[in-house]
Amino acid sequence: MFRLKKRESFLGVSVGKRQYDLPLNKDKGNNFLILLIALMSVMGVLALCGSFALSEMKTRWTSGLENKATIEIPAQDENGVLLSNAIIEDIAITVTDLLETQPNIENVERLSDGEIAALISPWLGDSDKALEQFPIPALITVHFAKGADSDLIAERIKNVAPTAILDRHESWLADVLEFTGTLKAVAIGVTFIVLFTTIVSVAGAVQSRMAVYHEELELLHIMGAADSYITRQIQRYMMGICLKGAVIGTFTGITMVLIGTWLAGSGESALIPRFTLSGVQWIILLLLPCFIGIIGMGTARHTTLRNLRQMA
Amino acid sequence: MIKFEHVGLRYGVGPEVLTDVNFKLEPGSFHFLSGPSGAGKTSLLSLLYLGRRPTRGLISMFGRDVGQLSRTELKDIRQNIGVVFQDFRLLNHMSAFDNIALPLRIMGHSEHEIQENVGELMEWVGLGDHTQMLPPTLSGGQQQRVAIARAVITRPRLLVADEPTGNLDDEAGLRLLTLFDQLNRMGTSVIIASHNMPLMEKFSQHRRLLLNNGKVDIVTPNIEIKQKLEGMF
Repeated sequence: MFRLKKRESFLGVSVGKRQYDLPLNKDKGNNFLILLIALMSVMGVLALCGSFALSEMKTRWTSGLENKATIEIPAQDENGVLLSNAIIEDIAITVTDLLETQPNIENVERLSDGEIAALISPWLGDSDKALEQFPIPALITVHFAKGADSDLIAERIKNVAPTAILDRHESWLADVLEFTGTLKAVAIGVTFIVLFTTIVSVAGAVQSRMAVYHEELELLHIMGAADSYITRQIQRYMMGICLKGAVIGTFTGITMVLIGTWLAGSGESALIPRFTLSGVQWIILLLLPCFIGIIGMGTARHTTLRNLRQMA
Repeated sequence: MIKFEHVGLRYGVGPEVLTDVNFKLEPGSFHFLSGPSGAGKTSLLSLLYLGRRPTRGLISMFGRDVGQLSRTELKDIRQNIGVVFQDFRLLNHMSAFDNIALPLRIMGHSEHEIQENVGELMEWVGLGDHTQMLPPTLSGGQQQRVAIARAVITRPRLLVADEPTGNLDDEAGLRLLTLFDQLNRMGTSVIIASHNMPLMEKFSQHRRLLLNNGKVDIVTPNIEIKQKLEGMF
């Protein structure tokens, strides 16, 4: 009758046996925990999408400005005396010629009269006569190659055109970087809060279940169950709960983002780009449930082992 | 095989329930554990099935000092002990079959072996038609038989039972003790805590552990036991 031989098992649970030794599936707190994990996942998705959007905006705002400078030839000299358009033109040609002979400069481009007219049209109207009647500053765009010494170039420009102003957009870039950096830090902070809350929730759920099923756990120990045997069951159960909640939350979050993007309008402005997810970003979002599942499993494992070791 | 030397046990800061327990049980022995209510029988049994650690003294089981065992070694020793609790302690969410199969699953036996052995044992204890029933739907006697089957399914080296005949009529109690006696003949050491004097009389060939005032006396049956018990009750 009792001819028993030990045989292989899969992860300590006999093959074909998928039931928990503790009545974990009958726990009424399961739905609450799933809901909590789902809400955390929604917040995680929103934080991640916010971070993606900020990265996109930062790229949009700063792309083209790096390694680029604008040189302005003012319409007046050092003493504030207005210059004629012909003199401004001469200085602009001198500066352009100088720049074209400098090393580490990829391109020099002077704004045409038409482009300048378009820039000042809000103040002076569309009349072509305005350009002829008033001295108009010249604007030259310079693309530096990598390793270019912009300070040296600025000094050489000053030698030929003392009133020329070289604007490297540093101030604008610094503001943009600071702004997007702060927002990204907030998004990362929210992500960490979501993670921390998930860990605390899972740890609390495990502890409460272990307290509720203390007698059953004691019984399993008395029957010779190893801590690892019990732990595997609880961590598998918690991973299932976390995955369920995270899948619901992630898809809810993605749906919210897509609806929000759609409601915000299909148009695209120069300042705020239309938010779309790249392939990598989709993968990151879709891996979120797995990540939360692993976090839940790890937390459950740690909490269970720590509590079991306190038992006889 | 089992040795208790100056073993004491107290719960928290309360008085000692067991004060100075000393005895030695040989492998394959059969003992009844008797004593007045509140003498500490259940506490002594909990030390025997390693459900508690003593507050002092030395317990040696199967040649190992229990106090020196790691958690892994403790688990291995526990797998050699079958326990029948007074309140059965069945897992109510599991069928009778799964309750009995649990020790085998813990030990990592195959489903095929489990099906074969549990099915056979359930037939033997008269629960062949109740395999998938949940414990709350079984009668007290049936639950007790599930608890007993669970304790013996691994054919343990030591079987500890706390009032196993408490919920049974005389005939069923006699059948149960006969089962324990058969297990004992197959090599399992048996310790049964019981108040059922008439039933114990029917197995008077076995020695008794008499627990009184936190201490244990091992006595031989018949005249000696009667004298001792008359003094206690």
